[in-house]
Amino acid sequence: MIRRTLKLAWFKRNRYALTVVAIALSVAFIVSTLLLTTSIADVGDPLRAAYTDVDVVITGTEVAGGDGPARAILTPVPSSIVDDLRASGFDAVGFSDPYAQILTATGQAGGQDQAAANIAEPWLADSPLNGFSVIDGRPPTNTDEAVLDATTAESAALDVGDAIQFVSDDGVQEATLVGIAEFGGASNDPYTSTLLLAPDHPVFGTAQGFDRVLVSEGSATPTIGAIGTLAPDTTVESGASWIAGEVDALNDFLGFFSTFLTVFAVVAVVVGMVIVTNTFTVSLSQRTQELALLRLVGTTRKQLLAQVVLEAILLGAVGTVLGIVLGLAGVSGLGWFLDVLGLVIERSNTISPTALGIGVAVGLGVTVFASVRPAWKATEVAPIEALRSADVEVGGDSARRRIMSLAVLVVGLVALGWGIAQSDILFTGVAIGAIFLSLYLGADQLVRLAARITRPVLGRAGPTGTIASRNLEKNAGRTAAAASALMIGISLIAFFTLMAATIGQFIAGDAGAALETDLVIQGIGSQPEPAIGDAALNRIAEIDGVDALVPLYQTSVSPVGDAEFERAGPGGGGGLGTTLTDIGALQTAYRFVVNAGTLASISGSTVIIDQATADGLGIGIGDSVEVTSLAGQVELQLGAIIETSLPGSPQPSIIGALDLRGQLGVDDPATAAYVVGPAAASTINAAIDLPTVEVVSRDDYIDGLSSNLDTILALVYALLAVAVIVALIGIANTVSLAISERVGEIAATRAAGASSRQIFWSLLAEFGLLAVVGILAGLAFAWVAAAAFFNTLSGGQIGTPTVDPITGLLIVAAGLAGAVAASWFPARSAATTDILDVLRAD
Amino acid sequence: MTVPEDHSTEPGASTDRSAVARLVHATKTFGTGDAAVTALNDATIDFLEGEFTAVMGPSGSGKSTLMYCQSGLDRLTSGHAYIGDVDVSTLTDQELSVLRRSTLGFIFQSFHLVPALSARENITLPVDLDSDAVVDDAFLAELASVLGIEHRLENLPSQLSGGQRQRVAVARAMIPRPDVIFADEPTGALDSKTSGELLSYLRTAVDDLGQTIVMVTHDAVAASHCDRVVYVQDGFLVDEARNPTVDDVLDKIRELS
Repeated sequence: MIRRTLKLAWFKRNRYALTVVAIALSVAFIVSTLLLTTSIADVGDPLRAAYTDVDVVITGTEVAGGDGPARAILTPVPSSIVDDLRASGFDAVGFSDPYAQILTATGQAGGQDQAAANIAEPWLADSPLNGFSVIDGRPPTNTDEAVLDATTAESAALDVGDAIQFVSDDGVQEATLVGIAEFGGASNDPYTSTLLLAPDHPVFGTAQGFDRVLVSEGSATPTIGAIGTLAPDTTVESGASWIAGEVDALNDFLGFFSTFLTVFAVVAVVVGMVIVTNTFTVSLSQRTQELALLRLVGTTRKQLLAQVVLEAILLGAVGTVLGIVLGLAGVSGLGWFLDVLGLVIERSNTISPTALGIGVAVGLGVTVFASVRPAWKATEVAPIEALRSADVEVGGDSARRRIMSLAVLVVGLVALGWGIAQSDILFTGVAIGAIFLSLYLGADQLVRLAARITRPVLGRAGPTGTIASRNLEKNAGRTAAAASALMIGISLIAFFTLMAATIGQFIAGDAGAALETDLVIQGIGSQPEPAIGDAALNRIAEIDGVDALVPLYQTSVSPVGDAEFERAGPGGGGGLGTTLTDIGALQTAYRFVVNAGTLASISGSTVIIDQATADGLGIGIGDSVEVTSLAGQVELQLGAIIETSLPGSPQPSIIGALDLRGQLGVDDPATAAYVVGPAAASTINAAIDLPTVEVVSRDDYIDGLSSNLDTILALVYALLAVAVIVALIGIANTVSLAISERVGEIAATRAAGASSRQIFWSLLAEFGLLAVVGILAGLAFAWVAAAAFFNTLSGGQIGTPTVDPITGLLIVAAGLAGAVAASWFPARSAATTDILDVLRAD
Repeated sequence: MTVPEDHSTEPGASTDRSAVARLVHATKTFGTGDAAVTALNDATIDFLEGEFTAVMGPSGSGKSTLMYCQSGLDRLTSGHAYIGDVDVSTLTDQELSVLRRSTLGFIFQSFHLVPALSARENITLPVDLDSDAVVDDAFLAELASVLGIEHRLENLPSQLSGGQRQRVAVARAMIPRPDVIFADEPTGALDSKTSGELLSYLRTAVDDLGQTIVMVTHDAVAASHCDRVVYVQDGFLVDEARNPTVDDVLDKIRELS
């Protein structure tokens, strides 16, 4: 039987080629995403290795939570605690992680990727608390010497002995690179670019306190309780517990990323399964006579089923092997793409056997699973079918599907109502899933509807148009699967485009429109954010053509007793973004829409809050709110409520006067500024003279606000492209199968005098219409899903999902072009087939 | 391509009538080298206006090839195939399509109706395909009535019996009032009663409407309905006879095989 199956499969190799490609792409997708996920480096190992001797860690109170590589904002630990600990016989070192951006030989910001933290740390000679060890050269011994971690040195192309430059909050500094270090056996501290300087270097001198204090056993035995009494109002925990917390924070972020990739892998598998099922259903139903013939000559039903399933296994195996090869190539492509996008994910080069195993299981499993039902139905064929003539119709059982589709739709709508009313994302998610399932089950109804609606138009094109419309309606049960596959691809693309466009509009939209500054000075993406520096600000203020200079000082605060309060909208994280500035000058750069109160009242602890945040906190004019700041708990009064806050990412919720800086413990320099006036950007840039700060026009600044979204969107598009290609293969497959099923009919129409052009357009119209159904259903579904998510998550604040018409049209055009391209060649070859080939086969 | 609309002459008296279709030194070879098979070998024949001709021969004799080449469905290796005065080998695919929809009609053994179209739409297909042509409703009604399918016109092919399907196919071939109808084993899939009815209808079309029909068959009874029978063997035209009886045909076939 195996030989016969092989022979039959080989005979049908052209028909199955596209199916194999679809399986291969699905497998490749899941293998490459799984490989990427499993290759994400474990950041715990270097941290544990570097800090084996750290017994206790003291940190401040959290003001705002961190997000992945972005660190939490903590109140500083007073520097006096370090002295007290040392006096008690402990070995203790405080770290303040001041900003230090290494420059390349050409004076550009260099080192590791921009998204990594760029900091300076003191070199702790002969201390068990030093996580670094020099692997080349020697440690720094005085303030004009420096050591870099190996990754940073390599990516900035710097060697031991080089004269180097770096930017700190005090401007550009110079040093000699005397050594290269590694961290806990890894070539860098995870997600951090570290410049190691002598402990008495001035960059460490300005801190009023420390981000964290590491404590090790000195002459005293450290216990958390004993240290807790020495360091009141701080968090004291064991070294192991602190490391676990750091690792968790990073893994949370990476876990989100893995989930994100896995979702797309599952999408690819679902699309692949739809297509494989469809291929088997169509190809088996058109082989009714062949199967009946096998039954006629005595093949048992079981044998026939085994043969068909064996065929599926064969296809699955070929597709899987191809897919794994493609997947291995794909993972490097995906990694390259992440690097290009600037998404910093530290990766190892290991290949996980589990990932490959899952790929094999999915490839074979999906194919066999997809083939069993059509195979079982196909083997129900009566032997007599072999003797019947060709015009026999294959009826579809659509009534049950229709009822199921409607039932699932009702369930989905009820769940959706509940999810939005209760702001329950789980219900909304289930609802969206149900609506999708309902669309999938009811796709044939949509196709029939489209056929009926367009019949008058197509009918005007003559009998070929009528044939196209009738065939579409008649075969809807079978061809709808291709529309579903396209629907999945299009709806995902449209969904993410809508999400990104709407969130982008939310971030930059109304607030952006109200920004009337001419220029914006900002740090070039790094963390902590690069400072502009007071000296530079003074120089800018002197420049002719600078009518107003508005420096922005940024921090975060958390409302006390309202820990659950999360800022409405995207941007995430805990705490309220807070911008402190010259309120008078700001009014020349930003057109405030004041809903309540007055801007004149803003000074000291009286602040401006935007309407959404005030509603969220439940406060009005004259009310006060207690917040945790870098300087501890502070009471703020509400002086004015404005419609929308300043544009920015994350968007500030609170705007205060400059004299609030002291109360909130803000001693970092300004990290951004608005410049109003006709002065040229280049003149201001020259006055700042820092490679880490840039001057951009207002429009470029607004565009840049959504650049993170654009990055994510680019990644999503790249991932979805695979799903869409698989969907288009499905269309091509459906078209060629449907056409090969209809050769007799096409030959008859040709014999009756239809030209090959008429046949070609008839087929293209039929499958183009099928694609249009998939595209429109996908767009509608995406809009509903995006609207549902927004309403659930933001209580309607983000508003109706919108996308500019050009992008919308591009998605439709791209989907249609893909579908036409996929139908073009099968339709062409069918239209030009020699009529005699068919007639002779009688 | 025009042929005089002259239906007055008696069937059988063919010598003074013009040829509607004509093969001149027609040769068709399949394959090359040792595998080459000559399906049609230097055949020259006229199919005259208003004549019902049967093309007979054993399986593989080349009778179908003769019909396909004559109708322009297949191309000759050498020689000429004329429909009226037009050499079909000079026509483009588009011109051949127009020729098929306006000048020729086809009937096949397995009907080859379009499953998505109703009987009426199948019948009018050749006219509908031509955006300038209009269906002659009176003629359609007459055809349907004569063929006994006037009550089945709105049915899909799948709702018709084999005999009804073939009568729809006949009506489809007749509707453009073609110069010549090519029928390829039209009774092959029908029982004897149904095929008898179909043949008498074709006979009527020739007698009453002056329709020219070329029918490939291996059924002696079918051939006996014809004015003329042409015998093909191994690609050669070996013999022909006028007004054949069933016995004449059977004898000839026995002789040939």
